Amino acid sequence: MRLFAVVTAVTVLAVAGRWTAAAGDPPRERQASSAGATLRGRVDIQRLAVAPERRPGVVDLATSTVPLEPEVRPAVVYLESTAVPKNSTLRAVPPKPDLARIDQRDETFVPHVLAVSVGTAVAFPNNDITFHNVFSLSKTKKFDLGRYGRGKSQTVVFDKPGVVRVFCDIHSHMSAFVLVFNHSFFTTTDADGRYRIDGIPAGSYSVTAWHEGAARDTHTVTFPPGGGAIDLDLSVR
Amino acid sequence: MTRAFVAAIVWWSIAAAAGAQTLPSEPISIGNGRVVLGGDVSAAIAPVDPGFFSYGQYEHSTLRQFRIGLSAQVRAGRRLSLLAEVRSENLEDVTPFALYARVRPFPNHRFDIQVGRIPPTFGRFARLAYSKENPLIGYPLAYQYLTSLRPDSVPASNDELLLMRGRGWRSNFSVGNLAPAPGVPLASSLTWDTGVQVIAGLKAVTLVGSVTNGTLSNPRVGDDNGGKTVAARMVVSAAPGLEIGSSFSRGSFVSRTALDALGPLGERDIAQTAYGLDVEYSRGHWLTRMEAITSGWRMPMLSTGLIQPLRSTAISAEGRYALLPGVYMAVRAEHLGFSHVQGRSGNLPWDAPVMRVELGAGYYIQRNVIFKASLQLNERDGGRTTTVRLPAAQLLFWF
Repeated sequence: MRLFAVVTAVTVLAVAGRWTAAAGDPPRERQASSAGATLRGRVDIQRLAVAPERRPGVVDLATSTVPLEPEVRPAVVYLESTAVPKNSTLRAVPPKPDLARIDQRDETFVPHVLAVSVGTAVAFPNNDITFHNVFSLSKTKKFDLGRYGRGKSQTVVFDKPGVVRVFCDIHSHMSAFVLVFNHSFFTTTDADGRYRIDGIPAGSYSVTAWHEGAARDTHTVTFPPGGGAIDLDLSVR
Repeated sequence: MTRAFVAAIVWWSIAAAAGAQTLPSEPISIGNGRVVLGGDVSAAIAPVDPGFFSYGQYEHSTLRQFRIGLSAQVRAGRRLSLLAEVRSENLEDVTPFALYARVRPFPNHRFDIQVGRIPPTFGRFARLAYSKENPLIGYPLAYQYLTSLRPDSVPASNDELLLMRGRGWRSNFSVGNLAPAPGVPLASSLTWDTGVQVIAGLKAVTLVGSVTNGTLSNPRVGDDNGGKTVAARMVVSAAPGLEIGSSFSRGSFVSRTALDALGPLGERDIAQTAYGLDVEYSRGHWLTRMEAITSGWRMPMLSTGLIQPLRSTAISAEGRYALLPGVYMAVRAEHLGFSHVQGRSGNLPWDAPVMRVELGAGYYIQRNVIFKASLQLNERDGGRTTTVRLPAAQLLFWF
């Protein structure tokens, strides 16, 4: 019954075209809260990433002869309370479960990194002519969606905070990250590395730039009462 | 050489694991993808197999084996790649399993020419990548079980052939090489052949053709009889998740040593001819495979001066079902049968028919570390040992 409700909700919202941003799209602009502060800046991503190569296709009848080009992958910037979690003012603002999607296209997960709030339902539509089998063995969320073909989609609700690595059981070079937060104060950098988080309650927080599996740069920032904007550039090396 | 190779693998694994604080899970890419290295390490344990059901050509049981494999792809340009794989089993010799050049004359089209020690053209199982694609620990009978036939030693009569029923692990005949040695499977998956292979992909159809030095049962680096093997395969992706393949292979089987011992009879057409049909279908949490291979050998018999046609047919079906994320169960059932020949003891299959069922389960400790456990039940209608039950466990790591 719960599954039916989720699927129905996903379908209705998909038709309405309310999917959240995919890779390459600008990061979500959160509605600035009149009561909260804004954190903005740029993450200098000097770490070039290469999509995992296919394993040497010694036994395959044909594999690509063209090496993959290195690319700059987005970072995720998020806040964490420096106070004990139960007193976190970040948690006072309830997270907004959303709908999101990670496409399977050209044997690649798109986007490669997705940041969501707890309770978000993420759809995994297959746009390739071949089957895919999305799965994760991460402690945060274990799932195995089985094999399905083009035009089909399966949905996973991420109900615990943490990092979830997503793979395809058929194509070992496919991988993605889903970062699940129990608050709403996070965002993904755009193509230029820029980010913006609005509506931040007054307080002292650590601000972290996460990139390709690890927190790469962390700063402590204090937001005074009365809002305002703070500029903070971060670095990923 | 072996120890240096093993030491290099262990050193690299420890270094990579220490750096990443976990086992490496992706191939190593060097020079912006110009060089890509992958590998697998597997360790399998099982009781001693008194009937030699699970032994292969290298005199190792597939259920009691420690194997290290390292593969590499070097991209020398858009049109040329060099591919290689070396393996060491039970820390013995390092064997160049594959070593070939892949030429893609038209980079935007699926048309490749491969030259060297190339992947098998025939059948489905032999090309399944690494042990990960094998849901169980044992290999299918057609690709592993040793019949009594040997390329370098041939029986002088049907009676001599029937005497070796169920003794493929160590057979010997009176023509050619007299020393006992392992026989050959229908199609070898443990050794690759040497020659030229052409692959063309046309939408949902993949066509493969090759000319090689050895035969389907006895792949070789060098030619041992002056005859070549021609093989072809067609794979049709009939629908998402459904692949149907058919294969053909024909080549001179008996080696020059045995041909010379046969005298004028060795001048006759002495070939192995095989046909294969395979189907793979997957959907949801299911994966099923079926494969049938029939192989015929034309075996010269000095006692009659005639060619004795011998045939063997293997049928296997396997299924895998993912019970939970990272947990699956699998089963394979198969039969290997042989045509009848007339001897003094009656009209009998020329080798002892074998039935095998293997049940197992796999657990992913992490994405690229799998623990497998299985129970293999073997029954043979002949030989000294006719029934063997083999529990086995395997730990497999790949990157």
